[in-house]
Amino acid sequence: MSEPIIKAVNLTKRYGDFTAVDGISFEVRKGEIFGFLGPNGAGKTTTVRMLSGLTTITEGEAYVNGYDVKKEKVKVKRSIGVVQDVSNLYEELTVEENLRFLARLYEAPMENVSKLIKDFNLPAKKKFGKLSSGYKRRASIVAALIHDPPVIFMDEPTIALDVRSAKMVREMVRALNVSGRTVFLTTHNMVEAETLPHRIAIINHGRIVAIGGRNEVRKLVGNEVRVRLKVEPLKSSIIHALEGYSPAFDEDSLVLKVEDVDAFMDELEDLKRKLGFRVLHISTELPSIEEVFLELTEEENGEKGCACGGCPL
Amino acid sequence: MMKVYAIIVKELKEYMLKPGAISWGIVFPLVFSLAFIARFGDIDHLVPGLVSISALFGTTSFVSSSIIFERRLRTFERLLLAPVSYGEIILAKILVGTIFGLMVSTITLLLVLHFMTYPLWSVSLTALNLVLSNLTFAAMGVYISLAISNPINVMTWLNLVRLPMMFTSGAIASLTLFPHWFLPIGLVTPMTYSVDGLRYGILYYYDVVPPLASALAMVFMTLLFTLLSIRALRRLY
Repeated sequence: MSEPIIKAVNLTKRYGDFTAVDGISFEVRKGEIFGFLGPNGAGKTTTVRMLSGLTTITEGEAYVNGYDVKKEKVKVKRSIGVVQDVSNLYEELTVEENLRFLARLYEAPMENVSKLIKDFNLPAKKKFGKLSSGYKRRASIVAALIHDPPVIFMDEPTIALDVRSAKMVREMVRALNVSGRTVFLTTHNMVEAETLPHRIAIINHGRIVAIGGRNEVRKLVGNEVRVRLKVEPLKSSIIHALEGYSPAFDEDSLVLKVEDVDAFMDELEDLKRKLGFRVLHISTELPSIEEVFLELTEEENGEKGCACGGCPL
Repeated sequence: MMKVYAIIVKELKEYMLKPGAISWGIVFPLVFSLAFIARFGDIDHLVPGLVSISALFGTTSFVSSSIIFERRLRTFERLLLAPVSYGEIILAKILVGTIFGLMVSTITLLLVLHFMTYPLWSVSLTALNLVLSNLTFAAMGVYISLAISNPINVMTWLNLVRLPMMFTSGAIASLTLFPHWFLPIGLVTPMTYSVDGLRYGILYYYDVVPPLASALAMVFMTLLFTLLSIRALRRLY
């Protein structure tokens, strides 16, 4: 296991009587993509703002790249690049002028500017305000790399982007990680949560409700796996026999909730002999991160939805 | 200082042509001066006031325009995330406001000089007072722009301060013409020191504040507003 590059201990942020982040503790390992998930207002952005030194920490401690966020702000700022949930470069400056300006602030070599423009295929002479939203986001991500930081914070990097631009941003995130950088990714986009992070944490009402690898987190909502089953011929007697597994239809397959897969397979063999059908397809699926997310955050909110899974009723 | 310089260059490129800076920072003071020239012709006694008004509106309009944009578009956070101190950010904002204000107030001065009966008394003292006036107003503008919680309201609050100052400072009518009870109001108006300082440099007399006291007061106010701005910025983020 690699060493932690971000460490939060009992991190708390209060605005008057309101507690935005409530004593959270976690570690992010060097070289991983860490997904920080949560509904709106859960405390994701506040956590990033505390870790990046943009807002003060009310209580607790935080370390980034070995530096104390409270006491060594400048060293922390030199260690991180931050991509915010808005593309906030200067509209009247060209892409190149924006990057040169940031290079001066970070005392980074000017060669980085031309290299990044070339590597990420940016229109150097175009004013930032004239770029499409996808290019604006691309330029904002590149701006965070100007001083070659080991840690990148990305706050909802694909928010308000079209499908193609969002895909491009996800590819950039992967490329940054492959190049050795640690990426702290806050999102409530489940495509990102499902595909990008090595580990995830789910935050709700300022508290972490789950943390771990994707499969570890999935297990937090129970040991059930989904079994997708396609049989021929499909008879009502089969559905009746499988009632204990809460059968549901998804297109031409039966979807069953199974806790003990071995026992289920034995039972299926017996049923095959007894009822006379063929299994055309069988596969198992763990719950999606979206399901885990909804389950954990709904439980916390006390707003559990109806069993039909989001029907308009 | 390289970071301060970089921020100044960026600010000039980004905000020089923003509507707020042009309308309130350039057009208003120049039109205001032209209106007085057209009305009175002989405007010697009004020149320090008109130049001071130009400095006030030029600096405060520029810095408030830039801070309103940066707070609303969150580009301010670019500066705060970079390894730049609060002091450097505030210093850059004040200096760029001073540069813009100096441009506007110098243009006003050159314009009104053509309509003066007497020649300008001291170029160096006028220049010194012009620089100090612009520094004071820029620092005040930065403070007001950061102290108001909602950036949309900054320009309204700024006008609430700027417009009465045109009268309480003796810029239009000398404070000696007002009743005695009005003098303390004049003395707590930052612009009074700018007007009297410039009056001494341009016309070789002052109304209520001697030139050295005016200069010291402006230095003190610049430092005070700078410190208050740093504190306001810390509170904001």
